[in-house]
Amino acid sequence: MTMPEVKEEKREITFRVYRFNPQIDASPFYDEYPITVEKGITVLRALNYIKEHIEPRLSFRSFCQAGICGSCAMRINSVSKLACTTQVWDELAFADRENVILVEPIANLPVIRDLVVDMDSVVGKIEKYFGWVESKMPENQMGKKEFNIAEAEFKLYDAATDCILCASCISECTMTKANKEYITPAVLLKSYRMEADSRDAVHDKRLGVLVSDNGVWDCTHCYRCMEHCVKHIPIMEAIHHIREDAVQKRGLSDTPGAKHAAAFVKDIEKKGRLVESLLPIRTNGLSWTVKNMLPMAFKMTKKGKTPPPPFMVKAVPGIENLRSMLKELKSRGNSNHHK
Amino acid sequence: MKKYAYYLSCINEAMTKEVDKSLEQWEKDLDLELVKLEQGTCCGGSNLDYVNPDEFLVVNGRNIALAEKLGLDMVTSCNTCLLSLRRAKDELDRSKEKREMVNGFLKREDLEYTGKSAVKHLLWVLNEDIGLEAIAKKVKNPLKEYKVASFYGCHILRPSSLLGVDDPKAPKSLDQLVDVLGAKPVKYKSSNQCCGFHTLLVAEDESLRIAAAALDDAIKSGADYIVTPCPLCHTVLDGYQKKALDKQGIKGSIPVLHLSQLVGLAFGYTQKELGINRHLVS
Ligand code: SF4
Ligand code: SF4
Ligand code: FES
Repeated sequence: MTMPEVKEEKREITFRVYRFNPQIDASPFYDEYPITVEKGITVLRALNYIKEHIEPRLSFRSFCQAGICGSCAMRINSVSKLACTTQVWDELAFADRENVILVEPIANLPVIRDLVVDMDSVVGKIEKYFGWVESKMPENQMGKKEFNIAEAEFKLYDAATDCILCASCISECTMTKANKEYITPAVLLKSYRMEADSRDAVHDKRLGVLVSDNGVWDCTHCYRCMEHCVKHIPIMEAIHHIREDAVQKRGLSDTPGAKHAAAFVKDIEKKGRLVESLLPIRTNGLSWTVKNMLPMAFKMTKKGKTPPPPFMVKAVPGIENLRSMLKELKSRGNSNHHK
Repeated sequence: MKKYAYYLSCINEAMTKEVDKSLEQWEKDLDLELVKLEQGTCCGGSNLDYVNPDEFLVVNGRNIALAEKLGLDMVTSCNTCLLSLRRAKDELDRSKEKREMVNGFLKREDLEYTGKSAVKHLLWVLNEDIGLEAIAKKVKNPLKEYKVASFYGCHILRPSSLLGVDDPKAPKSLDQLVDVLGAKPVKYKSSNQCCGFHTLLVAEDESLRIAAAALDDAIKSGADYIVTPCPLCHTVLDGYQKKALDKQGIKGSIPVLHLSQLVGLAFGYTQKELGINRHLVS
């Protein structure tokens, strides 16, 4: 029997690469490098080829070439991912122009040069949000005794420890795009990992910073971070856990974020439906509401769009049953299945 | 005849009544019967799940069990309700223990969560269950002069592990529908971005910046309309549009239609019948 002849697949592919040297260039521009690429080559290998043979000044970061170090994150065809684990061939399907692959630095961080971004702000945020375990063990016992944790506890933050700080999620984050001071998903994830560790001594201090402005309550729930995480870490679960923890430890009237969440819970228990007209007041108080909502409220009233006042929101039929269920659930205490 | 249990969303009961109003106009045209789940309650609006995870499961397990009792799959017209319901369904389907906890309570109402009813978005039902061909046959008024920018909203795309109909990086179900209705789908970068709704009351400036970026992108793409399958996105993109664009000093405006209104227009219903006059931007 003869094997069918395997022809090596090759193609000319153009890499359209973002170029910018802030010290020289007035503004960023794109260079195009047409090269012949074999099937099976990664975007990082293609960039290395371009650097070696065409443009030695092209700057990008890489190290492990195996998806471990997190240094080679960039936007490939507008999506943040690791260049070293991304196959050129797979990307062809997403190209806007046939056989042209767009390569840009990750977003939401300042560009140092070409595809290299400045990660200092991320490091600063890890510091701000206590991204480490401050040990409960007294100084004089350190190194003398093991400090064990139970396997069940480790399972809580096992996934979070997979983070390689590549910043792909930061690049894709809606809130970071709108507010550069925002904590960012990677730092939220890291904070959660430390918060959940029983050896940690600064839990309440960390939680206090996490619930302050630019923190955990500012997340829009867009799930972009989780969708784009190169290690498939369920980042939103970590964000939920921090909020759950904040609500349990600091109560439901701690911050506008907590008050907002509380309104949903109370309305479900009372009427089964959300009383939307009161949401702004319950979240931010009366004076904020008057200042921020009034002009729009007038226009909405004209269109018959204002949400009905509380007494007009009818309780859902059969609400008594649900109420009694939830009352009993409360009396049992939350099984707290996330923790 | 295709029959579903229709989940009533809080926002469509209050601020965006035009969603269900327009849907009621044309459902019969597609041989669609939507049985309203009057006893269903608020899904928790992506808040209840972390404030009280067990309550979240009881409330939404009950919502889905109401559909199961009717022997029907469940449909919603709101992205965030879709995600809440599917999130609860996923947890309940994976854990016998949680199912038993929920069913212990549901017994009192003679309800049981078994997992047999699917939870779908109206957009998916149109695309997959009814099919684009059947919809094309009902188009009386092809929207030839309309250039339409699809705005999907987050909770119908992400996380794809819980949703999974569209590729969140390159969604197409809504664009396909726009095309079948005779309009011209416009390609623009923000179609899979966030509208900012869920932080409107907590971080208003940031939310409005997020909304303005998407609106600006749609306006620049040359679209005449935005269409969205989510009433929450609509509330930001229409209700807050002027405020968002003014704050950024962006000129121009763009009307925003609900999915159910775009279908209604193509099926020959009037703007008034579809409640389009209720929008703030015309
Ligand atoms: S879910 Fe929150 S943290 Fe994640 S990308 Fe969206 S805004 Fe950022
Ligand atoms: S969470 Fe995922 S995407 Fe974000 S930095 Fe860590 S590994 Fe990268
Ligand atoms: S080079 Fe290390 S992750 Fe790509």
